[in-house]
Amino acid sequence: MMEEAASQLERDHVHSVYDKIAPYFNDSRYKAWPKVRQFLLELQPGSIVADIGCGNGKYLHINKEVFKLGCDVCRPLVDFAWSQGHEVQMCDGLHLPYRDGCFDAVLSIAVIHHLSTKERRIRAIKEMARTLRVGGRIMIYVWAMEQKRRKFEKQDIFVPWNPNPHSPRRRAAAQSVSEAIDNTDKHRKVRSTSSVADEEDLTCATPQQRTQRLWFFSRSLDSVFDFGSLAISRSSSRDLSTLSSPTGENEGNKASQRGRGRGLIKQVSSFFSPPSVIGSEEDVFDSVTDPHKGQNNPGGNNNNNGTGNQSVSVSLAQECGSLALPDLVPFQKEHLKPAGDESGRAPQGGEQQESTKSPRGSEGQVEGSCLRYYHVFREGELAELIEHHVEELHVKHTYFDHANWCVVAEKVQLWKI
Amino acid sequence: MKLLTHNMLTSHVKGVIKGYPLLIKATEVKMNEVEFNPQFVSRMIPKLEWSALVQAADELGQRQDLPSEVVPDYEKDEEFLKKVHRLLLEVEVIEGCLQCPESGREFPISRGIPNMLLSEDEA
Repeated sequence: MMEEAASQLERDHVHSVYDKIAPYFNDSRYKAWPKVRQFLLELQPGSIVADIGCGNGKYLHINKEVFKLGCDVCRPLVDFAWSQGHEVQMCDGLHLPYRDGCFDAVLSIAVIHHLSTKERRIRAIKEMARTLRVGGRIMIYVWAMEQKRRKFEKQDIFVPWNPNPHSPRRRAAAQSVSEAIDNTDKHRKVRSTSSVADEEDLTCATPQQRTQRLWFFSRSLDSVFDFGSLAISRSSSRDLSTLSSPTGENEGNKASQRGRGRGLIKQVSSFFSPPSVIGSEEDVFDSVTDPHKGQNNPGGNNNNNGTGNQSVSVSLAQECGSLALPDLVPFQKEHLKPAGDESGRAPQGGEQQESTKSPRGSEGQVEGSCLRYYHVFREGELAELIEHHVEELHVKHTYFDHANWCVVAEKVQLWKI
Repeated sequence: MKLLTHNMLTSHVKGVIKGYPLLIKATEVKMNEVEFNPQFVSRMIPKLEWSALVQAADELGQRQDLPSEVVPDYEKDEEFLKKVHRLLLEVEVIEGCLQCPESGREFPISRGIPNMLLSEDEA
């Protein structure tokens, strides 16, 4: 059951999103991380390397002396990698179609953070370890919860896709997705490799450009299925507070935007809360907290402390003054009922799915439906995962690289008596 | 799909014990020219399942006079290395499928890309 929910979540908020956004991946934003490049260049000539979750194949051209192959679940990305002359396959990280011990090295760069349960993340690492020869090495990069300038409040998040991080939105300011500029954030140098975890995301704001990043936090699937604490399905009254009015933006239709946003969140999160486990969807997903009164709160302040973890199902990142989902508003205008309806609204599985497919301008079409699921990792979490659950790997190095936690581990021979 | 890749690929259908090597049924094969690097080929050879390479070559009608065992002292045998180079890197299956030797399940190859994704009940 959990497996199903996990696969469904990943299908909706990883696989189908990458399928849609694949065409946008192939521009100069997407550079190879230097330390990954270095790892590849230091391999012995004649090595065989696998890039598991290779995406558009950006690492597959590095080091002509080694044989590289890549695989991914996303067909359009794999097709692109193929068009660049690389050996690639379609497969999924939990079931690798490679024989035991056939690789000298394996890469897993910004991949396993898309797996929605701890168990699946462990399985993925074990699968990769299986294909590594003894003495071979694996390099794993995952998004870090702790970023240079801010910290994600929760570990399980949805991140909207922004196809045009460099250009200002052409909508009304109130609706534009913009990136909140921290008070402390004076130097916006190489934004493209900075704190937001992934070079694919946002970035380079010019000083003139004010942008606001929206993260949607959800309860980790692992906690949803914690049968020992079914009581957590009831949200505390604190969490049921409606949002305070957004500070200074979204002049009209605040309520309706809230409603739409909530409805969408309900929809995207609905599969995590089968009614049999959680009392009522309304309780869990109708509550939203507004962690901050205003925008531009520097990273430290956080109204929504650890206690929020148990009962808060969805909350917004600190920079957001409002629940309005600017990316999604144009979408929802067309396809959702007016806000007043929301209380009586049942999860609109089919309808919502449809709306994400309907044609808009290309930007709108891609954005509205594109929330990517991530489990961001705490410091030490990845290394611990390996140390406690993957005995065939020994962690050799662990470090923080821009906005990622990174581990290099070596396959060891296990002796069983 | 090159034969060097094929040498690593296995069927991973649930319950299958002997899913390697996958049988190749090709409907379109392409020949490429790839720069010959004898050291590279020499280094690959110990990593190969040699019999799987021979079988694949046979299936594609590309065996020519490839020996069924690796020749001794192959590092210095340029003729041998060239044959291996050709098979590993220059022969490409563009369309066809890979068949699990035990279950018969076929994994399609299209536009050069093998699709090894399993359905839910196979996983």
